[in-house]
Amino acid sequence: MNARNTTGVPSEGMRRRRFLTAAALGGATIVGASALGGLDADAAFAAEPSLDPAIARSSFVEGRITGITGSVLEVAGSSGGHARVQMTNVTSVWKVRPTTADVIEVGDGLYARGVPMPDGTVAADAVWVNIVNLDTTIRGIAKNRVHLAHGQHEVVGNILADTGASYAGRGLTSDLSRLRIGQSAQVLGAWRPSDDSVDVVRISVGH
Amino acid sequence: MLSLTTGLLPLLLAGLLAWTGATKALGPDVVRTAPKTALARLLSSSERAVLVLRATGWAELLLAGALLAAPGSALPGAATAVLGAGFLGYLGYGRARAPQASCGCSASEDTPVTGRSFARAALVLAGGLTAAGAHRTWWDALGDRPVASAVVLAVGALVLFALSADLDRRLLLPLRRTRLRVFGHPLTGRGGARQVPVAASVELLENSLAWHTTSPVVRSALLDHWDSDGWRVLHYSGVHGEGEAARPVAVLFALDATAGRDTPGDPVIRVSYVDADTGAPVAAEELRAAPARRSLRLVE
Repeated sequence: MNARNTTGVPSEGMRRRRFLTAAALGGATIVGASALGGLDADAAFAAEPSLDPAIARSSFVEGRITGITGSVLEVAGSSGGHARVQMTNVTSVWKVRPTTADVIEVGDGLYARGVPMPDGTVAADAVWVNIVNLDTTIRGIAKNRVHLAHGQHEVVGNILADTGASYAGRGLTSDLSRLRIGQSAQVLGAWRPSDDSVDVVRISVGH
Repeated sequence: MLSLTTGLLPLLLAGLLAWTGATKALGPDVVRTAPKTALARLLSSSERAVLVLRATGWAELLLAGALLAAPGSALPGAATAVLGAGFLGYLGYGRARAPQASCGCSASEDTPVTGRSFARAALVLAGGLTAAGAHRTWWDALGDRPVASAVVLAVGALVLFALSADLDRRLLLPLRRTRLRVFGHPLTGRGGARQVPVAASVELLENSLAWHTTSPVVRSALLDHWDSDGWRVLHYSGVHGEGEAARPVAVLFALDATAGRDTPGDPVIRVSYVDADTGAPVAAEELRAAPARRSLRLVE
């Protein structure tokens, strides 16, 4: 993706990107890496309580979407209960990749983090749709999918153009040719309700 | 051909029953796998399940012997049919009451009850009925047309093998491994393998001091990303300030588009907050106050 489009006439989105790029490059420079945790797709599974003060006030919602009314998602919790999730224009939506709220459908699984509102809804900061994190064994490898065994279940993992792999705890790469049949693999992905397969976002082996 | 098949059925059935019976009656795995079977659920005891499995195994061995020794008599065939019907009933129960439990059919498998288990039990039932009605002995059939008999036996053995869940472990995985070895890895040379995936940039960011510094402000996951002049810009949303002073901001990170977690050296990340409404930079001095951290230099 480049910060210009093909016609030469900058669109509204491109103009905003250009403005934000200038702002980002004019910002403070911070050097250094540390072994701190993240807030992205993996954060949906963070078991430990975060030290981040913003997180302490948040609440989590998890379940299947039973209805969409305007910008409110009706969610039936998987262990009973019911919740209403309010989407805002700064809510981040993850469904295989960062995307917009239009792709959310009734029947999708959902994991959301947000702030409880006085009217009983949860104003979502971040919504992860159909996210799954599976401990699997690779049973077969084909051109556009991998066959995985998760417990006693056979799962088909669809390989996408931007599927990443991590080998032995190293950084993510798009090179998937080092996967072997019989390896145990941690798969972060998005479940497809239509055919019960999983779109593989990240596959970690030798972890 | 049909008479040949019915004539040889006792031989095939005896082979199947001898194999499953031997694994159940004599196999060392029975004690280990019995608690996972639907039978243990039915009898609500693993010890009793082991006893019943062992007894069934001996019964199968006995039936196999009878099918081989007395093919002219209707009794072994009828008994086999009863056994097959019993298996079908048990599988139906297991499927309904404990869908996750294994069937214990050959005692060496951990797989749950599937269509294959039903097909195998149905074959035992049908085969038993056919064998009970047959009047030819299998050695007659074998003697009359030895080549055709060999073909029928081979096909029958293949069908029974295909209906066994052990097939996957014994045959399927080695076959798939061999295919990869012969035809090459199907996932080699996918397009764009050189480029660092966006997820890798996000991973690098989330392990950085920049992320640590901004974590009280960032509220969303990744909203948008794009590359510009070698920089990869990652856009998050957040809230800056407390209570009345809280303002929605866009949190922007710019980092080297070719850097990942395995790239040597410290990552350089540029950070800024931009007011979501006015577009004015927010709290620039707060970010500049973050201490620069560098990895310790190696002493030569």
